[in-house]
Parts: sequence; C-alpha cells; structure tokens
Amino acid sequence: MGSGVKANILATLTSKILGTMLLNGASIEQCVETIVKTLPVCKVRQVAYSTFSILQIFKNGDAYLVEFDNPSCVFVRDGKLQKIPYEEKVIEGKTIKECRFHAELNDCFVLMSDGVIFAGVGKVLNFGWTWNSMADYTVNATRVTLSASRLAAMLSKACDDLYMQSPGDDTTVAVARIINSKAVNIFTGPPMSKEDDARMMRDFMRGPAKRIVSGGTSANIVARILHKQIKTSLNYTDPVLPPVATIDGMDLVTEGVLTLTRALQLMKQYVEEDIDESFFSELDKDNGGSKIAKMIIEDCTELHFFVGKAINEAHQNPGLPFDLSIRQNLVAQMVDYAKKMGKDVTIQYY
Amino acid sequence: MVITICIGSSCHLKGSREIIQILERLITLHNLKNKVELNGSFCMGQCMKGVCVKLDGELFSLQPSTTEQFFKDEVLRRLA
Repeated sequence: MGSGVKANILATLTSKILGTMLLNGASIEQCVETIVKTLPVCKVRQVAYSTFSILQIFKNGDAYLVEFDNPSCVFVRDGKLQKIPYEEKVIEGKTIKECRFHAELNDCFVLMSDGVIFAGVGKVLNFGWTWNSMADYTVNATRVTLSASRLAAMLSKACDDLYMQSPGDDTTVAVARIINSKAVNIFTGPPMSKEDDARMMRDFMRGPAKRIVSGGTSANIVARILHKQIKTSLNYTDPVLPPVATIDGMDLVTEGVLTLTRALQLMKQYVEEDIDESFFSELDKDNGGSKIAKMIIEDCTELHFFVGKAINEAHQNPGLPFDLSIRQNLVAQMVDYAKKMGKDVTIQYY
Repeated sequence: MVITICIGSSCHLKGSREIIQILERLITLHNLKNKVELNGSFCMGQCMKGVCVKLDGELFSLQPSTTEQFFKDEVLRRLA
C-alpha cells in the first residue's frame, strides 16, 4: 500500500469539490461526474477518486445523506440505532448510496472512514472494531453526552485505544447532532454611565437564555437591580482564578477579566488545535473559566454579549502582574472564536 | 465577627487568596472557628486600596505581609 500522501491529496480535492458544488446547488450526479473527470488517475491503482460521505441538514430539518464506499452512517434516534433506507444509484460506473429524510430533535449522525471500523484489526481484535460494535458503542455514548464534538472525541479515543496508539489506516469521525437553538447572554463590565445600568440590565434579561455575569462590579449591578444577594464562596477550585459566586436567577456569576482570559484560552484551543479527551476534562473542571467556555462550546447556538465600557482606574495600574484593562479586547476575540464555531453572535456596548 | 475579603480581579492579583489562607490558618491556630467567619466579596469599589478587607464595617487595606499584624491588632484585640 502507499504512503497515504496521494490518498490525502485526492481526499482533500474530493471534499473541496463536493463541498463547493453541493453548497451551490449542484446535484450529486454532477458532483460525481466532475470528480471522475477532473481528478488525476493514480498510476498504481488506476482510480481517480476517494471515498466520501456527505450529510446535508437544512434549517427546516430536511436532510440528505450520500455515501460512496465509506462505512454507513451510524444514525441514532431516541436512544436506538436506526436503519437508513438507502437508495442506490450508479453514476459514471460508481454505485452511490443516498437517502432523503427528515431529521428530528436529538438525532445523532456519525460519518466515518473505514479506519474506524477496522480499528484494532489483527492486533487487539481479529476483525477490527466492526460496524456493529462501533454502532453499539455510539448508541451508549449518545446517552452520556449531547455534544457532537465531545462524542467525536470519545469515538476517536476509542479507535486510538484499539489501535494501541498506532493507527493502521486513516481514521476520521464526523458527528452531527440536532439540537434546539440555545441562547447564552453574557453581561460583562459596568456601563460608561451609571444611568445606563438599568438599560443594559433590561437588554441582558430579555428573552429565554442562559445568563452569565462576568465581573465583580457587573455582579454588584445585577444583584442591586434584581434585589438579590451575591453569594460568594472562598473555595478556590483553581489557584489562579477567583472563586465563582451565585445570584438567584443567574446561571453563572464569575470574576471578570482573569476568568474570561481562561475561557478565551479554551475556546481558542477548541477552534485551533486537535482536541481530545483531555481537553474535555479541562472543560469539565469546576472553575469559572472552564464553566464559561463549556457553556459557550457545548450549550449554545447563539451568543449575546452585553459589554460595559467603563474603565476601572485601579486596573490601569502598571504594578499589577496582569493587564486588567483588556476586557473589550478579550470580548472581541471571544466573538471571533464563537463565530468560527458556527455560533450566531451579537455584541452590544454601553 | 465577620471578616470580608475582596476577591475581585484587582485584589485577587494583589493576593486575596494568600490572605484568606493566612487568616484561615490563624483562626484555626487560635481556635476561633466559632467566633470568626470569613467571607468573600466581589469588588468593594476601592480597588486602589486593595487588598480590601472589611471588619465590623471598617475597611482595611491589607497585603499578605501585613495580614498577621492585622490579625493581632484588630481581630484579637476586638475579641479580647
């Protein structure tokens, strides 16, 4: 067998062509025809394609699944494995499986390359993981988490373990889950003018959302307007971050800039790096930064920032070991990464 | 007696956590757990004077290095 370099190039070209064409409304026939006619033919194997799986899910729930030579999509609904009623179609001599259906809330789809179902072949397992075992494992895993990225990390970890950390084949897992839209509102920083406290608070409280207050003075404003107490704790679950607090009616109350810095680090890591299970154990930690990042990454489809621009004189102090006057910069970066995660983000300044 | 320590950003960086640890240790040492309660508070609005610590409504400005003196001069004195 080859080194995988050619395969990788063909796979990249194939996915780019498919993605671009389907997005612009081309039919699967046109796509396959384009791939067969434009990709270079491998001299050794006489093929000009790579395997592929495509899942398109539209806002109204209509879904379209197409597969060529990959293991079938694992489809879990209501905690059970579902059989997918594929139709077969021959295009340019290739047999393509496709299916149109309607996706429902909490549906879970796992697309994969054959390295997944062959994980451990000839080593830990005679025949590798096999599609059926992998599907059972997925069904159980969907009970543990609702998060698509966490599930993908769990599945690839399982493959890595079966391969005993030296995979024998390309092992790719992609997970899609259907969730309702979930809003998260973040109140951070006091407004420039005290007169705007009430207005900022009114905007922050509007509509159904999880509500995070990040910042000491911000927490004081929220507590004052709601006529509630701030209950702080002295439990330092992380030595670098101040402990979180609670206010009745708020989902999370934290210190501001230091905690947001931590949350931003995690968001950045999620977007820019290959994440694995250790990332998720960091995300599950009981500190303000992890909690904010977890809510944004796993429990949010739209993110709304309400940002006060008042400047705390004490934070301008060059004697502090950390620049605390960077709230707006942090928020701007968080907005950036949240957008890269595909979330709808709004930001309002006061 | 309640001692409230600010754990806001600025005070945190100036050593709130260390001050809390020192106070907890001194309270245990003097066997005062039933008499003295430690509390955290977000920003007290006096960041320039951090670390802000309140005792009987009075604001003190502490550093980790002055905490033991504060405990002797204020806490023990008031309890005596």
